[in-house]
Amino acid sequence: MNAISVIPERCTGCQSCEMVCSLSHEGSCSPSLSRIRMKKWEEISVFIPIVCQQCEKPPCVDICPTGARKRTPGTDTVTTDEEQCVGCKSCVYACPYCAPTLHPVTKRIMTCDLCNGEPLCTQVCTAGALSYLPEGDPSMGRKRAFGEALLHSLRTR
Amino acid sequence: MVKGWTGKRLRIDLSLQKAWAEDIAPHDLRQWFGGRGLNASFFSQHFPSQVSPASPENPIALAVGPLAGTLAPCSGWTSIASFSPLLDPPRYGITRMPGHFGASLKGAGFDQCILQGKADRPVYLWIDGEEVKFENASRLWGKKTTETTIAIQEEKADRSVEVLCIGPAGERQLPFANVIHRLSWTGDHLGLGYLFGVKQLKAIAIRGKKPVTLQYPKRFLEVCLTLKDQIHKRQKMRRQDGALALLGGGESTGMGIGNRRLPSGSEKQWAASLWANLSGSESCFSCPVHCGRSIQDREKCLAGIHLQKAWYLGPQIGVSKGEWTVKLHRLCQAQGLDPFLTASLLAKMMEGGEATPLSGGDPGQVDEVDDQGELAYVLLRRIIDGGKKKFHLSALPVSENEDLDILADIVSFCVIVVNRLNLMTVSNIIDLMNGATGYALTIQDLQDTISNIRQTECRLQNKKLHWNDQSTLLHLEKGQISQILRKEERRNVSISDWTAS
Repeated sequence: MNAISVIPERCTGCQSCEMVCSLSHEGSCSPSLSRIRMKKWEEISVFIPIVCQQCEKPPCVDICPTGARKRTPGTDTVTTDEEQCVGCKSCVYACPYCAPTLHPVTKRIMTCDLCNGEPLCTQVCTAGALSYLPEGDPSMGRKRAFGEALLHSLRTR
Repeated sequence: MVKGWTGKRLRIDLSLQKAWAEDIAPHDLRQWFGGRGLNASFFSQHFPSQVSPASPENPIALAVGPLAGTLAPCSGWTSIASFSPLLDPPRYGITRMPGHFGASLKGAGFDQCILQGKADRPVYLWIDGEEVKFENASRLWGKKTTETTIAIQEEKADRSVEVLCIGPAGERQLPFANVIHRLSWTGDHLGLGYLFGVKQLKAIAIRGKKPVTLQYPKRFLEVCLTLKDQIHKRQKMRRQDGALALLGGGESTGMGIGNRRLPSGSEKQWAASLWANLSGSESCFSCPVHCGRSIQDREKCLAGIHLQKAWYLGPQIGVSKGEWTVKLHRLCQAQGLDPFLTASLLAKMMEGGEATPLSGGDPGQVDEVDDQGELAYVLLRRIIDGGKKKFHLSALPVSENEDLDILADIVSFCVIVVNRLNLMTVSNIIDLMNGATGYALTIQDLQDTISNIRQTECRLQNKKLHWNDQSTLLHLEKGQISQILRKEERRNVSISDWTAS
């Protein structure tokens, strides 16, 4: 199961991921056209990228009243069928990450499609907050980052 | 419509509480590109003679270039121009501000924003796309920058709003007050806090959702990806240290020690003690360098500190402990004070105390005054003339290659990446411009625009083109280009040979 692994402690809030997502999917640059969203709390320097984690048992698929949300056969991605989607936003509420977003023009739900197996956001994230782990456990990167932070705090205590 | 730009200028009159959009002619965009160029052109058209910085008509111009708000690396900078109270006599001044504000301005659908007039009560400006509102800011008046930023974002129920605000220092119209956004990035050296204070403008809150359209999106994407990779691989700093990694290396920072000279080695000590107070990084819009570091307090962390500010509030004024740099910085940040000018002032005051100009030097003369006026005059004279260095307000740093600075300013790029670290070449910028706007530019085109901007700015500042200036200009037209070209050759990384899509 492949997914984008997010390590929020490393995010610097540069929004490169939003830009590359919007540019590659829509041909123009805007955070509102991006499938990945950076949320910020500037007073404490916390920046968190939010993106579809391609759940094993996706609640968005279960809740979708029209059957537009489905796992694409052959890939690991959960996608929206634009024909069937009515923009009811049920999936937005059901998602544990609140990752689905309404497209501002077509008014259909859009989520991460992993760029056909080569997510560009993970390529431009030079801060190391986003990585695409094609094999093994996608939480490994996150676990490792937590371990590093723990080690650091123990050493500098 | 021209791609890359939005072709719109937002005009705001605070006296009448009116806002309207104007078109910017495509040939103007082509001639001036954006940012600093657009500002210079606006001022030369509308303000051929000086306006007092204290008068309501004095405009504040914020402008971005064609690459702002796109994937192009380090494209978050905003150029700002106004008649500055800090220059003597007050005249046209410019500055540049890193961060995310420029990208949001572009996203709101504008290349340039001109603020004029004076509100009759404290207001803040709410720009949500094309909707502009003048909101009551009496509640916010007197509040620190942190509180202001959060209060506005919560009022608008959207923490993704970018807020550019002044602190209490700006409200009291201190000339060395600044504007700050995301509690980290500041517009310095221009007295912007004072200018906002005069206009009773507490903040500009902006939300931009319009997409920036591009002429050749696929090609643009390719160039950006290559360039981000190139910058990331060649950057001279480690991610953990940010731009602060440049500190402690002496000349490599390009910043000399101003009023003090610390004993050798203490600079490194200072840097080490500063690092102990830092945690996490932050970065400007779409930047692969992530040069800002956030400050970690015992209780909580508080947004960013950047290389130059740390330096000015550190070794520059003889501070050898990083904790004090952090404390000084946080005070400046909360109150909205320009760290550079504050450091200049502090340096002079502290030096005054040390060299005791208030009592020493020529004590006899001071003791025998028959009027306090004479005493005051003598003391002031000594503050101006005396000490190790004269009182000197720190200006926008002058770089060795001013042309590259202007080039960065007109396309909204980071001057540090383009000019100091040289992580990007002129041909890279030409490639990006082509992808975004469709114009096939040459170095000569850019050079012409840059010379044009220099001349216009000289006229605006009432600086006559001296023989020296002129010879520099001539020298620049030939020498600088070859210098830039040599740089290109050295780096040998032109990526202009991608095939047309």
